[in-house]
Amino acid sequence: MIDLRVQPIDEKRVRISGIPPVLAAMLRELPETLELRELPDAHARLFPNPTADHDKINDEWQQMVAPELRHLFVSAGETVTRDLTALDSDQGRPEEYQVTFPVEHVNAWMSAINQARLILAEIHKIGDKEMNRTAFDPQSPKHMASLRIHLLGYLLHLFVELDGGNEPENRV
Amino acid sequence: MAPPTETGQPGVLVIGETDAKDELSSAWNVIVHNDPVNLMSYVAMVFMRVFGYPRGKAETLMLEVHQKGRSLVWTGEREQAEHYVHQLQGYQLLATMEKSRG
Repeated sequence: MIDLRVQPIDEKRVRISGIPPVLAAMLRELPETLELRELPDAHARLFPNPTADHDKINDEWQQMVAPELRHLFVSAGETVTRDLTALDSDQGRPEEYQVTFPVEHVNAWMSAINQARLILAEIHKIGDKEMNRTAFDPQSPKHMASLRIHLLGYLLHLFVELDGGNEPENRV
Repeated sequence: MAPPTETGQPGVLVIGETDAKDELSSAWNVIVHNDPVNLMSYVAMVFMRVFGYPRGKAETLMLEVHQKGRSLVWTGEREQAEHYVHQLQGYQLLATMEKSRG
């Protein structure tokens, strides 16, 4: 049973705890996965055109905006890569892992996790049908990619729940 | 350019009025498209963050994306539409913009 938690431990730090070994291994692979963002399929997904049929707007977008997005994505990956050097086994529960990082890095973590999920999906051609898979063959790279997408998705969902206290009730 | 149009005043034609009006008044829709990977909870969170929408509206739009394949999440001037698409793509949502037909 997974008892994964993402929670603030004080005003300045957030901790992911209860990380099972399989997810710890996936997290350690995040930097390598993020390096694949420039492969054609992954690139097309992460840096899409802003319009369906306005070539001039699309061209300007790819020249001006896509580099900004790339910088944003790369920067998030680098932040998480640095934080992951602190990923270690929980002293109280040696079969589990934990990592602690500054609260300002939460957005970088969400970005890096989601980038990795999207990159894996593009590289392994994972669509709706594959996302609904419930049995995973360890010998199938596609099945293992689906499993990674789901487990990283569960972690991402915990980050979203952590963000739940920030509803902009008064902004509309 | 639009052809000259009669104004009703003798000798006075207005040239290109329609084009100019189109450019000034045309609104742009910001569209978010469904994809099989982005979490529903994540998409709703992004709508709340980017547009400041309350949770109920964000979740309604998210469900529209999920069930209909796309949702019109905002309409307005082109510059602001570009800003929103930029932000949404920064969260890795499949966001585009298109000229409003309305």
